[in-house]
Amino acid sequence: MRLFQRIFPALALAGLITILAACAQMKALPNLPASHPETLTIGQQVSCAECHEDQQKGTLKTFDAFSHSPAFVKNHRFYASSDERLCSTCHKSSFCNDCHTNQVEMKPSIKYGNRPDRDMPHRGNFMTLHKIEGKLDPASCYRCHGRANNERCITCHR
Amino acid sequence: MKSPCVRLIPVCLLLAFPGAALSAEISVDATSIVRFEQRADQGAPKIDIVPATQFLGLDASKLGDGNLSLHVSGWGRADIGDKSYNNDQFAGSLTYGYLQYRFKEANADVRAGRFFVHEGIVNEQIDGASIRTDLPLGFGFSAFGGANVHTKKLFNENSDGKGEGNFGGRVNYRYRGILEIGASGQYETNAPTLINYPTVNHRLVGGDIWFSPHKSVELMGHTSYNTVTKGVAEHSYLMNVKPLQHLVLTGEYNENRERNYYYSWVNFSQLALNPSERSRSLGAGASYELGETVELAVDYKHYTREVGNADRYGANVKFSLLGNSVRSGLGYHYLRAGKEFAIGSNPSASYHELHAYALHDTRTYFAAVDVIDYLFKEKVYNEKSAWEATLSLGYHITPDLAASGDFSYGRNPQFTEEIKGLVRLNYNMAFDSKGGMK
Repeated sequence: MRLFQRIFPALALAGLITILAACAQMKALPNLPASHPETLTIGQQVSCAECHEDQQKGTLKTFDAFSHSPAFVKNHRFYASSDERLCSTCHKSSFCNDCHTNQVEMKPSIKYGNRPDRDMPHRGNFMTLHKIEGKLDPASCYRCHGRANNERCITCHR
Repeated sequence: MKSPCVRLIPVCLLLAFPGAALSAEISVDATSIVRFEQRADQGAPKIDIVPATQFLGLDASKLGDGNLSLHVSGWGRADIGDKSYNNDQFAGSLTYGYLQYRFKEANADVRAGRFFVHEGIVNEQIDGASIRTDLPLGFGFSAFGGANVHTKKLFNENSDGKGEGNFGGRVNYRYRGILEIGASGQYETNAPTLINYPTVNHRLVGGDIWFSPHKSVELMGHTSYNTVTKGVAEHSYLMNVKPLQHLVLTGEYNENRERNYYYSWVNFSQLALNPSERSRSLGAGASYELGETVELAVDYKHYTREVGNADRYGANVKFSLLGNSVRSGLGYHYLRAGKEFAIGSNPSASYHELHAYALHDTRTYFAAVDVIDYLFKEKVYNEKSAWEATLSLGYHITPDLAASGDFSYGRNPQFTEEIKGLVRLNYNMAFDSKGGMK
């Protein structure tokens, strides 16, 4: 204990120097832009590589990884969990919250009935389908309805 | 943490907004929808519901010194006819409302108010604050804390089952553009005491990875661990291989240890779940883009649960024509599932899914048609299928303002017959100098 008390000031000083050195380097770290500088076409699957081919810098992931291929759209949760800042250069939070939210007012496929090209969930009569899908893959329900958005669930599931 | 104090944060932030807004770039998204719906539930009289809903979003950037921004989104509803869902004639929700300060370097930002947190294995909505930044040598850091945003109360309870406080964060390390590994966790406090359910806190830790040794290969996924039940909750991993520029081959594996994963899903009696039960799915797919006009995708998934297994396979094709003003698609999927997943005492849960749509969007009018049909292998409540057709017509009054109307008709086992219509007014205004509509 006494040894620790003796070396604590030295450790604290070393820690402080490390933090200051790290902070000094922070200004050298690049920033993503707040918003995408070019207007992107609504409804067109975005191909980032079209303009950003081989533009990987520093620790940024390759832009091509974020091209909105059908595979990307279907599995976007993997990208959103670690690159939300990149998503937000083109998408407002409300774009995500049309589906992923705490209290959804109406099915996204109804709100966007004029946009059937968007892959909105629960199209048609999902009330019947959920009795099959819920038993088949409850994790797919839980991701959106587990800790939020439960108004429809608790109407029957008590 | 006293939640009333924390919940005042979004209100205080909004009150501070006008003074800083003079030089702001502002965008407003407003959607007004009035629905007309006639429902005929099995064995019940028809009801007519007419809910009027207003969605409103506001984004103001370049506030203060130019790095501050405000983001608000929410909705309100009034039932003009019969009650649309529950006994409330009026309902509303503030989806998010927060101030964000973006620093000029290191992708650092601070947020305060109501917002969503998506960091590694964490997916939460809180009233509180968060900070995140890149650090030297490829490291990164984020942290959040605040009060849980609650949802609807459980039946016969005075709570939704969620605790009061929620804290957590993520640290990550990136090596060039080929590797990212992260560790994240969340710690919920003060779970409520419920009458019919146990008291459970949602506490997880986990790790995530993104690995791309070559631009044609990506491996990503995460594993989470429930620190309350002391067991692995979830494995979820995806691999993409791009042998050609527009061809993506995908493989995925998901596994959920049910008690650990669903532990805080209180209305499904998580403690009654068998600790040894797990559900798994293994999938594969391929998608190919022929220029900007055609997308092809095929997929297969095998589901394994304790009670049985099932398979789903199918294909989608999408077309984009006339400079993207005409978009259409066709899809077919088949689910092969046995009686263990069926509705009621049906001997099979198998069904075909057929989907087709087309839309035309011009500078003046826009129109869309969408048809979806589920054909059951065995009749459900004496109905062979559940289908719905929707027709939408609209007009761009100005580039920022559009009016449209939808009409849909369908028959299905649940409601026998559904007739729905709505009128919609979209207003998307942006007073900013660059960037997309987001």
